[in-house]
Amino acid sequence: MRRFALFAGKRLLFTIPQLFAVSVIVFFLIRLLPGDPSYMLAGPYASPQRVQEVRRSLGLDQPIITQYVRYLERLSQGDFGTSWRTSQPVLSDIRERLPATLELVVGAVLLSVVIGIPLGVAVATSRGGVLERLVFFYGMLAGSLPDFWIGLLLILIFFYFLGWAPAPVGQLDFAVSSPDHITGAYVIDALLTGNGPAFWSACAQLVLPLATLVLVYMPLVLKTARSAMEEMLYSGFVLQARASGLPRWMQIRYALRNALPPVITVIGIEFWFLLGGAVLVETIFAWGGLGQYAVESVINSDYAPLQAVVLVTAVFTTIVFLIVDILYYLIDPRISV
Amino acid sequence: MRRLWDSDLWRFARLRPAVVFGLCVIIVNLCLAAVGPAIAPYPTQAPAGNSLIPPNGTYWFGTDVSGMDIFSRVLAAPRIDLTIALVSTVIAFVCGVALGVVSGFFAQGERPGRIASTLIMRIADIVQAFPMFVFALALVGLSGPSAKNVIIALAFLNIPFFLRLTRSAVLQVRSKTFVEAAICAGNSRLRAAFFHVMPNALAPAMVHFSTTVGFSILLTAGLSFVGAGVPPPTPELGLMIQVGAQNMITGQWWTALFPGLCLAVTVLAFSLFGDNLRIFLDPTNRR
Repeated sequence: MRRFALFAGKRLLFTIPQLFAVSVIVFFLIRLLPGDPSYMLAGPYASPQRVQEVRRSLGLDQPIITQYVRYLERLSQGDFGTSWRTSQPVLSDIRERLPATLELVVGAVLLSVVIGIPLGVAVATSRGGVLERLVFFYGMLAGSLPDFWIGLLLILIFFYFLGWAPAPVGQLDFAVSSPDHITGAYVIDALLTGNGPAFWSACAQLVLPLATLVLVYMPLVLKTARSAMEEMLYSGFVLQARASGLPRWMQIRYALRNALPPVITVIGIEFWFLLGGAVLVETIFAWGGLGQYAVESVINSDYAPLQAVVLVTAVFTTIVFLIVDILYYLIDPRISV
Repeated sequence: MRRLWDSDLWRFARLRPAVVFGLCVIIVNLCLAAVGPAIAPYPTQAPAGNSLIPPNGTYWFGTDVSGMDIFSRVLAAPRIDLTIALVSTVIAFVCGVALGVVSGFFAQGERPGRIASTLIMRIADIVQAFPMFVFALALVGLSGPSAKNVIIALAFLNIPFFLRLTRSAVLQVRSKTFVEAAICAGNSRLRAAFFHVMPNALAPAMVHFSTTVGFSILLTAGLSFVGAGVPPPTPELGLMIQVGAQNMITGQWWTALFPGLCLAVTVLAFSLFGDNLRIFLDPTNRR
């Protein structure tokens, strides 16, 4: 236990310089480009007063170090600037949209794990069947399917041709009012408040985007689980277990425990990738999450939100990799910091 | 010719249809990048007929909402997509390998070299802390959507991958005696790093090249799809899918289906080729 606390503590300390480095990159992102950042952040239709205001708050007449310190101060107060397009503080825009994106990303990662690992184990333990061939072909597609195109195909088939799925208009159908705000993720909020119509509508809307992400990104987990399992099933300790006459399920349990570390790494990578990759799927399904916010900001040259989205997703990535490392340690305590 | 037929590579390829498939698609793409716009039956950036004609004998893939022939545009698309992907991957390869050699070769040794080596790795860590698509979107969005900016953004984001692969290969080669011999023979350290170590540590990065080209095509299309890539009406696959997206929902399936299919097949070909090249070169997989 003490060793674990030491490991977690050290790893946590290591995150602090990482977060600082991330903030430095985001800070310089807008300053390295040609053009006056105060004009860029104020937006194309800003009045001269507004530009002056932004210039003062950025402290552009100060040395760059002072500017950075000011930037950190504003961040610590939760001030990410103002979006000229929604004319709202970026922080409240993000607070509104982040849960929707997390609902999608976390859901997709969870489903990938729940489907991918058992399927990988099943293929690894029963080699040479139809299942193996199917999984082999499916695994080949990993990483090369355009998720936005798969999403469109699913809409075409399940909404237009079959009429099973609702129109891709966002997180809820037009006629349904949103549930009371608790977490911001509609499915969870509707469930917590017992709002039946909102819950079913939110679930129905969630199916296609989730299916798209799982279909495109699950093979990564599946392939890793399968190859790690195969390696473990033929390793010394499982052969020993088999020779000692332990039942098959126990052999698999032993093997699985030792096959998990690479799978956890891949889950972390999938999360990292989806935080960015979900942008396209969100756009197709008009999801109204962080990704769509970023896209709308890019199209409208609204740079303050863009800067904030980059920062927020990077912070999330850092946290995810922190969790991955800690899980890794819990499963395989041999590793050190 | 006879020697090619008997070579290990060809014997390996014959056993794996995926390699042949990948190679064929890559060759077709390269040819189309060269002559595609010239052999397209209709203009690639102007209407060729009525809006939204379903696929038929005249318009093989149908026409899009503004009446442009989709087949012609698909033929012309590799020129822009493949060029962006190839150029950005070459830049990422050169920079990544060079930085990888430096950071791997000087990882152990005197202080200044060690600091430079660590610094390079930390910067790579930070760049990779950002989700790739969001970072690409921001880079292109801030510098303005254009083919040049897409190339720069993709090259920048792909450098860390080549860097890591090369670095770990260099770390293995570095400890071999021939490197020591090269330095004893009077070669400077930099010369030893780039002329003696680098040629022996290129394989992992070269194998990754093909996969990266495929992935870059996917990212280029994705960026154009959300309006942060090449500007319309350039014949580009992501743009075509974007134009077709609205029609997809109302049942004009051909508008986005064919460009997307081409995109998927192309990316798949590059990644299959890369994967199999890795298996071929991996000594533990030889039978």
